[in-house]
Amino acid sequence: MSKKKWITLAMAAVFLTLPLAGCGSNNTSNNAAPSATAAAEASAEGSASASPGAAAETFGNPELNIAVFQGGYGRDYWDSVAAEFMKEYPGTKINITASPKIAELVRPKIVAGNPPDFMYISGSDNTPILDGLVKDKALLDLTDVFDSNTEAGTPLKLQILPGVLTSSSIAPYGDGKIYLAPYNFGVMGLWYNKNLFDSKGIATPKTWDELFADNAVAKENDRALFTYQGLYPGYLEEMIVPAIASAGGQEALDQFFNYDPEFWKSETYTKVWGLLEKIATEDNALMKGTVALNHTQSQTSFLQGKSMFIPNGTWFEDEMKDAPREDGFQFGFLGVPSLGADGKVMALTQVEQMVIPAKAKNPELAKAFLKYLYSEKSIKLNAEKAKGVMAVNGAPDLVKEYISETTYNIYKAVDSGMVAVSGSFKPVAKGSKFNASDEVYKPISSIMSKQLTLDEYSAKLYKVYTQIQKELQEQGQQ
Amino acid sequence: MTMKTRKSIFIASCLLPGLFLFLLFKVYPTLQIFQKSLYLWTGLSDKPKFIGLQNYTDMFHDDTFLLSLKNTGLLMLVVPIVTLLIALVNASILTKSKLKERNIYRTVFFFPSILSFVVIAILWSFIYHPTMGFLNSGLEAVGLDKWALPWLGDQRVVLWALAVTLIWQAAGYYMVIYMAGIDGISPELYEAAELDGATRIKQFIHITIPMLWEIIRVTIIFSINGVLSISFVIVSVMTAGGPDHHSEVVMTYLYSQAFTNSNFGYAMAIGVFIFVISMILALLSNKLTERGTD
Repeated sequence: MSKKKWITLAMAAVFLTLPLAGCGSNNTSNNAAPSATAAAEASAEGSASASPGAAAETFGNPELNIAVFQGGYGRDYWDSVAAEFMKEYPGTKINITASPKIAELVRPKIVAGNPPDFMYISGSDNTPILDGLVKDKALLDLTDVFDSNTEAGTPLKLQILPGVLTSSSIAPYGDGKIYLAPYNFGVMGLWYNKNLFDSKGIATPKTWDELFADNAVAKENDRALFTYQGLYPGYLEEMIVPAIASAGGQEALDQFFNYDPEFWKSETYTKVWGLLEKIATEDNALMKGTVALNHTQSQTSFLQGKSMFIPNGTWFEDEMKDAPREDGFQFGFLGVPSLGADGKVMALTQVEQMVIPAKAKNPELAKAFLKYLYSEKSIKLNAEKAKGVMAVNGAPDLVKEYISETTYNIYKAVDSGMVAVSGSFKPVAKGSKFNASDEVYKPISSIMSKQLTLDEYSAKLYKVYTQIQKELQEQGQQ
Repeated sequence: MTMKTRKSIFIASCLLPGLFLFLLFKVYPTLQIFQKSLYLWTGLSDKPKFIGLQNYTDMFHDDTFLLSLKNTGLLMLVVPIVTLLIALVNASILTKSKLKERNIYRTVFFFPSILSFVVIAILWSFIYHPTMGFLNSGLEAVGLDKWALPWLGDQRVVLWALAVTLIWQAAGYYMVIYMAGIDGISPELYEAAELDGATRIKQFIHITIPMLWEIIRVTIIFSINGVLSISFVIVSVMTAGGPDHHSEVVMTYLYSQAFTNSNFGYAMAIGVFIFVISMILALLSNKLTERGTD
């Protein structure tokens, strides 16, 4: 082989190994424990400044491994809150693993029986791993953390937004025990262009009838009434769930989320899915081509003034900050109109989840860390670094200076007057082939393109719910 | 030590590392798949529960799985046939005609093969974009408004729209393989045929195809397997299996059962099933095309 060929080969080998090297490096960073002297100093200071309870506590195992989702909120918060925690609990050491694909990183560790001590899992790519852990009953019971007193002397659970701790996304087994801790909360509903409504003197609709009446206004302004994230009909949950609450109250929501097949024969069903059918059939109601658009494409169309309303959550403004838009566009949050005449506007709320695996090596320290996250210092830090609003009472006001005005107003609206609705599907039986949210929302695409009637749809879901119920009962007997 | 033993030691020491890696990274995981498909397992716990063949029987009562199997079957039937036909015809035209631009065409047709599948999927979702897409704008420009469908959102056409993308992606690759094959056919055969008065089409049927037959047989298997793996990326990016599972393929369904539904055992059973099916298809196409060589 000639010399030249050898060089080429060597170069090829180098280039081939480069991407491999890239795979190998991960996002783990060691926030090294403060050196011995620094720790000693810190403890000396700690006894003077930090809360007396904290400084006295020592942990048999001072090392904590946490894995966090690095998404829209970034990882700055986790870096700084870990630093603060280590300052207040001298001698402890927190290792942070952060990634947008955190589930992929922790999955092998969980399978190997060596999970991180604490995990914050979010983002639709990652959250399924939580469902798996819930099905396996592999999470640590956190009820005692929320029962314990805060520095103010009241139980921590009173500090959390009402209703959150009893929802099935936090207490998944219906026995009131908390296995997933709430982190940031988001508000979802319909959005509109505030500038258009203000300048044309259009009133925001308070009922669905008013909303459909706005179709004429929409047509005058050269746009459709409604669009949604076509390829991902799951986004429609943001208006369907509040509409169910509006039509049938908590009882109907329980039927819907806990798989009572009779829901699909109820009046609530007819009313709520009637709205979808109306959107599908009425002239100019659904933006042309919506069913074939992905979330970015449909949201861009909305910003460009092709549609009057779109469902989305508090992250909308940030998500679309670089997207083109019509002149003067301003984000306005409507919530979800009421089905009755009372005009009580609703909104869907959802919390992100943090967990401690049952097999965590250091559950004591993980619990202390979790509790620390709900301190005022941490809540403010979270707003400053992550622009997130935690699911605790009064959080919006506590963090007002750090979040945008639109976002603040949405949280304020939910705090005062707008009815917050929350809920999530009960976990299905282990080994079930059904994914409840897919079964319910995916066929809506076909309803929207008029290739599936409401009767066919409800008949199918009646069967699915019956089956899911049956599987849950069989599991219960085992 | 004799020359012979030294030689075999040398050969063994060259082969063993490779064999070891092959066993570790190919054979062992494959066996694991077979084993895990017999368990009820979330893919997370260390205590899978043995349930025998239940995952396999469940498969045939699962409507979504059957739909995805039907969709995959259609793609595996349509895409290879059309792709290989187009590739063969193009290759033959480009090699046999005296086109001056043949090298440009060769590059242009091959281009999709060096693009990443994700890029291709994004590119085509903009071509199919219902309002500003190239396809619908084109149809409207020539007055065929009625034909302008929301291609990726309509359950009747979505699979065909994806098939076109898959064909576009692969045709150039097989064309280049065929061109190389055609270049290897002795020109005397064509000259003789021409003297005997055979037309270009007759030459194509009676010289090109029989001489390329062995290559065609291999590409059929490549192409069928290609559809299986590439459809996963194309479907995930372009439609996410929608609308209402009408573009779901077995690979995307396997993935969603494993990673969003935490049904690892069931997903492995689907994997084994696909493995068996593709083995059968490969053997079948090999057997069916064998006659051509006699």
